Amino acid sequence: MALLPILCFGPMVMALVCYIVGRFSKPVRDELVAAVGFVTCLACAFLWNQTGSFTVSGFCGLGLHLSVDGFRSLYALVASFMWMMTGIFSKEYFAHYHNRNRYYFFNLMTLGATLGVFLSDDLYSTFIFFEIMSLTSYVWVAHEETPGAMRAAGTYLAVAVLGGLTTLMGLFMLWHELGTLSFDGLRAALGGQPASTTVTVAAWLVVFGFAAKAGLFPLHIWLPKAHPVAPAPASALLSGILTKSGVFGLIVVCSRLMAGNAAFGNALLVLAVITMFLGAVLALFSVDLKRTLACSSMSQIGFITVGLSMMVLLGEEGSLAAYGSVMHMVNHSLIKLCLFMAAGVVFMNLHQLNLNDIRGFGRGKPVLHIAFLLGALSIGCIPPIGSGYVSKSLLHESILEYIHLLQETGQSWGAYKFVEILFLISGGLTIAYMTKLYICLFWEKHPTRQAEFDAMNKSYISVRSSVALLGSAIVLPFLGALPQALMSPVGARSASFFGQEALKESIAYFSGENLLGAAESIAIGAAAYLLIVRPLLMHKEGKVLVYADCWPKWLDLENSVYRPVFTQFLPNVIGAVTAFIANIPEGLVVQKIIPEIITGVVRFLCELPEKIVLFLKNTVLRKRRRKEAVPIGNRFTYGSGRFMDAIARGLNATVCRRHPVRTDFEFVLDASGKEITRGTIRITRSISFGLLLLCIGLFATCLYLMIH
Amino acid sequence: MIGSWYLLVPVLLPILSGLAVCFLKPFEDTKARNRFTLCVLVLNVLAVLPVLFAKDMTLTLFTLSDTLPVFLHTDTAGKIFAAVMCFVWAAAGAYSFEYMAHEENQRRYYTFYLVTLGVLMALCFSGSIVTFYMFYEAMTLLTVPLVMHTMTKEAVAAGIKYLIYSVVGASLVLLGVFLLSPYVTTFSFAAGGVLDMEKVAGHESYVLTVAFLMLIGFGAKAGMFPLHGWLPTAHPAAPSPASAVLSGVITKAGVLGTLRLLYSFIGADFLRGTWVQTAIMSLTLFTVFMGSLLALREGVLKKRLAWSSVSQVSYILFGLSTLHPLGFAGALLHVIAHSLIKDTLFMSAGAIIEKTGKTKVSELDGIGKQMPVVMWCFTIASIGLVGIPPCLGFISKWYLAQGALSMTGVAPFFSYLAPAVLLVSALLTAAYLLPISIHGFFTGKDANGQVRVFSKCEPTYVMLIPLVLLTALMVLLGIFPQGLTNLFTTLAGTLM
Repeated sequence: MALLPILCFGPMVMALVCYIVGRFSKPVRDELVAAVGFVTCLACAFLWNQTGSFTVSGFCGLGLHLSVDGFRSLYALVASFMWMMTGIFSKEYFAHYHNRNRYYFFNLMTLGATLGVFLSDDLYSTFIFFEIMSLTSYVWVAHEETPGAMRAAGTYLAVAVLGGLTTLMGLFMLWHELGTLSFDGLRAALGGQPASTTVTVAAWLVVFGFAAKAGLFPLHIWLPKAHPVAPAPASALLSGILTKSGVFGLIVVCSRLMAGNAAFGNALLVLAVITMFLGAVLALFSVDLKRTLACSSMSQIGFITVGLSMMVLLGEEGSLAAYGSVMHMVNHSLIKLCLFMAAGVVFMNLHQLNLNDIRGFGRGKPVLHIAFLLGALSIGCIPPIGSGYVSKSLLHESILEYIHLLQETGQSWGAYKFVEILFLISGGLTIAYMTKLYICLFWEKHPTRQAEFDAMNKSYISVRSSVALLGSAIVLPFLGALPQALMSPVGARSASFFGQEALKESIAYFSGENLLGAAESIAIGAAAYLLIVRPLLMHKEGKVLVYADCWPKWLDLENSVYRPVFTQFLPNVIGAVTAFIANIPEGLVVQKIIPEIITGVVRFLCELPEKIVLFLKNTVLRKRRRKEAVPIGNRFTYGSGRFMDAIARGLNATVCRRHPVRTDFEFVLDASGKEITRGTIRITRSISFGLLLLCIGLFATCLYLMIH
Repeated sequence: MIGSWYLLVPVLLPILSGLAVCFLKPFEDTKARNRFTLCVLVLNVLAVLPVLFAKDMTLTLFTLSDTLPVFLHTDTAGKIFAAVMCFVWAAAGAYSFEYMAHEENQRRYYTFYLVTLGVLMALCFSGSIVTFYMFYEAMTLLTVPLVMHTMTKEAVAAGIKYLIYSVVGASLVLLGVFLLSPYVTTFSFAAGGVLDMEKVAGHESYVLTVAFLMLIGFGAKAGMFPLHGWLPTAHPAAPSPASAVLSGVITKAGVLGTLRLLYSFIGADFLRGTWVQTAIMSLTLFTVFMGSLLALREGVLKKRLAWSSVSQVSYILFGLSTLHPLGFAGALLHVIAHSLIKDTLFMSAGAIIEKTGKTKVSELDGIGKQMPVVMWCFTIASIGLVGIPPCLGFISKWYLAQGALSMTGVAPFFSYLAPAVLLVSALLTAAYLLPISIHGFFTGKDANGQVRVFSKCEPTYVMLIPLVLLTALMVLLGIFPQGLTNLFTTLAGTLM
C-alpha cells in the first residue's frame, strides 16, 4: 500500500515546502498548513476499512515496516483529525508570534513522524519514528523561548533522549533474544511460553521509553512543565496524541510480550495507579489553567494504563479492559484537543493562565462556554453526554471483573479493591478540578477587569477558530450519548491489535452498576470541590476569594531529585573521579612516577662511584691511627704545659715542698696562647700590620738594591 | 584490468604534487596553489576508485632482507579505509581553503597535507606489518607540522606531545614485532592471523602479553586509555581543517592498525576468550565513558569535540575487540559514521571560530541565527553522533550492541554491560552536544522583552558545500545502509 509511506513522509516533504513558501508569503503558508492537515485527514479516513502493509527492506538497516489495521487506521485518523483542527486554529492563535515558519516546519515534521509511529508494524520502525517525533516536538515546547519554556523544553528533551536510549537497549536485547521485532513476530517468537528473564528485562526497558513519553510516574516530570509553556495548539497535540504514541508502545509490549504476565501486570498497575491518583491531586492543587489540564492528562494516562494492566492481568479474558483502554484513549485525545484549544482562546486574548487572572473571562462568550463545558462533562464522565463515562465505566468494570475472578479462585483481592477505590476517587477528583476551572472561568467575576473581559465578547475569537473549537467539541456528546453505535465499533476494530477477541454480546453501557459508579464519582467530586477546593485551596484576600497555590515547592521530583542527580552529581562527582583516573597515565605516571623513578635511578647511578669511594674510605681505607683530640688548647700549649706541670710536680715533691708551685701551666699557657693568637689575628687584620709588611718589603727591597 | 603498478598512482600522485607545491615557483601564488590542491584531492579520489573495484593486487616496493619484503596489497578492509580516508581528506581540504586564507605558511601546510594523503593511501594498502609500521611512522612525522602549524607556544607543545605519544605507541608495536618474530610464519597480513601455533604452544601467555602491548601501542593513535592524552591537547592547537582530519582520519589509522593486528596478524580465534580480549574491552569501554563525561565537563568547543573523539573512536575499538562479525561490522560502520560526523563537527567549529572568533561553548548563544546552515549541519551531525535514527550513527550502534550481545568466550556480564555503556555515553553525548544547538537557535528575548537580533555571518559556499555534503551523506547512508552492512558482514566472514 503506497499510501502508508506517503502518509508518513508526505507531511515531512510538505514541511519543507511550507517553510519555503513561508519565506515568501505568510498567509499562503498558513492555508497550506491547514490544507496539509485536511488532506492527511482525508487520506487517513480513506484507510478506515482497509488493511494492508508496506515494506522497504533495508531501510535504516532492518527495514521499514508499515501496516494498517483497525486500531492503527483509527489512531491515524484521530491524529490527523487533531492536526487538521489545530492547523485551522493556529492561524489566529499564532498571528502575533515570532518564528512561525519554524513552528510550522516542525509541526508538520512531527505529523509525519507521529503517523509513522501509529502505522508502524515493527518496533524498529516505531522506534525510528518515535525518535524523530521526540526531537521535532522539542521545538514546540521551546517555541516561546522564555527561560521557563527553555527549562521545560530541556526537561522534555532529557526525558525523551533518556527514554529513547533505554528503549533502544530493550530493542537490542529483544532482537538478540527473539530475532524479530515485528509485532506479530514477537508473539510468535515467544510461542505462548512465558517470557524468559532476559525478555522480561528487555520488555521493561522498552516500556521505560514509551512510559516516559506517555507521562507515567516517575517519568511524568516533563508533562506538567511542558504543556503550560507550549503554544496551545501544540499543547493539545502533545497531550492528546504524543502521549498516546507512548501508550501505543505500551500496548505493543502488553499485548505481544507480556500478555498474561501477572508480575508485569501488577507492577504496571502500581505505576498506573500512582500516575492516575497523583495526576488528579496535582491537577486539583494547580492554579494554572494549562497546568491543570496537563496534570489531568497525566491522570487520564494513568486511567488508560490501569486498563492496560488489567488487560495483562486478565490474560485472554481482557477484552473489556482493552475496549475501555482504547475508548479512553480516543476520548482523551478528543477531549484534550477541545480543552487545550479553549485554553488557547483564553491565552491568546489575555496572555495569562493563572486562575486568579483569568477568572470570569468566559462570561458571556457562548462558543467558548459550550466547547469548554462539553469537554469538561466528557472528562468528568457525566452521563449521558460525557463520553468519558463510557470508557471509564468499562475500565471500572474490568477491575471488578478481575476482583471477581480472584474471588472465584480464592485468591486475595483486597489490593485490587483498593485500586478500585483509588480509581473512583481519582474520577471524583477529575470532576472536582474541572468544576474548579469551569466555575472560575465562566461563573466567577474578575474583581477588577471584568468590564474589560466583557468588552471582548464580540472580538475574542474569529469564525475560523470557532469552527475548529466547536468542531472538536461537538463530537464528544455524540460519543457519549450513542456508545453502542459509535464507541463499540471503536473497541471492536481495535481488539485484535490489543491481542483480544472482539466482544460478541453488546455492552450495557448504562447499566445500573455503571451508573452507580458514576454517581459515586460525582458524589466524591462534589465533596472534594466543596470540602477541599473552596475551603482549603482558596483564601480570602481583602474581600475576594483567591486561588492559592498550596502545593509545597520542594515536593517536586524533578527539582529535588532528577536535576541534582543529572546536573550536579553525575558530572561533578563521577566526572571528577573519571577525570582523576583519566589523568593518571599522564599526570601521575608520566609527570610524577616515571620522572621520580628515572631521576632516582640516574642519581643513584651517578652517585654510585662516589658512594663506593666513601664506603671504601670508611671501611678498607680507613686511617689506622687517628690523632686524638687535644683536651685543652692547641698541641704546643698542651705539650709544653704538661711538660711544665710535670716539672712543677717534680719540684713540689722535692725542692719546693714548703712552698709548692700551684700554677696549672696547662691552663696558663693555653690562656696566653689564645691571647697571642687573638692578638696575632687582630694585628694581621689591622691596617698597621699591612703597613708594617709594606715597610718590611720596602726595607728588603732597599737592602737588596744596596747590596747590588 | 589494471596492473599492480597502478597502486603507486594514488600513493605517488599526492606525494609528488605535495613536493611540487613546496618547490615549484607557480605555487607561490595562493590561488594557483589552492586550485592545484583541490584538483589533486579530487583526482586522488578518482584514482582510488579503480583500485576499489579491481581485484586484490600485490606490489612489492623493495625488500629489506630475503624474508622481509615491503609491499602493498589491496584487500577489502584496506580499500574501505582508503575510500573513507581519501574522501574525507578531500572534503576537509576543500573546506580548508577559506579557513586557511588568513593563516601564514599555507604552502607548508598544503605540502604536508598532500604528502600525508599519499602516505595514508600506502598505509591502507600495506601488506605486511613491517610495511605498515614504516608508513605509520611516516604518517606520524608528516602530521606533526599540521598540528604545530600556528607555531604558537601551545601548538608546538601540543605537537611535541603528539609526537611523543605516537612514537611511544609505535615503539610498543615495533617491540612487539621483534618479540613475536620467533612465533610467526610470516610478517605479511593474512586472514586469521600468522601465528605458528606449533611454536606458540607452551608460550601462550607470553604471546598474549606481547599482543596486549601492541594493542596498547596502536591504541595510542586511536586515543585509547591509557595513551589518550595527546588528543585533547593536539586538537584545539591545530587549525580546524587539520583537527578535522586528525580526528576523522588519523585516529582511524590507529583503528586500522588494531584491525590488522587483531584479525590479520594475531588472529581472532587465538584471542577470543583470553584475558587480552577482556582487558582491551574494559579499556575501550572505560575510554568510551571517560571521553563522553570529560567532554561534558569541557567548556572549550574544540576540546569538547576532541574528548568526544576519544570516546567515539573507542566505540570502534570496542567493536573490533568483540571479535564477532556483527561487532566488526558495527566497528567499520562507525568508522564511516564517525569520520563523516566528526569532520562535520570540527568544520562547523572551525567556521564558528573563523567567523566569530568564539571558542567557548558558553559564548555561542544565537550562533544558529548567525550561521544557520552551519548550525543545521552541526545539529544533524550531533544527532547522528548521539545515535538517533535515521542517522548512520544509529545503525553502527545497533550493530555494535548486537555484536556485544552475541559475543562468545567473554564473561556474559560484558555482553550486557557493553551496550549499557554505549547508551550511557550516547546520553552524555546528547548532553554535551545538543545544548550548543539549543542555545544557538533558541535565543529568547533580551532584558527589554525584545527579540534578540543577530547579524548573519554565514561562511561562503566553498566552506558550506563540503559541510552540507558530509552531513547529507551521513543521513543518506543511515537511511540506506544495506550496501555497507552487507559489505562489512561479508568482510567479517572472510576474516573470522
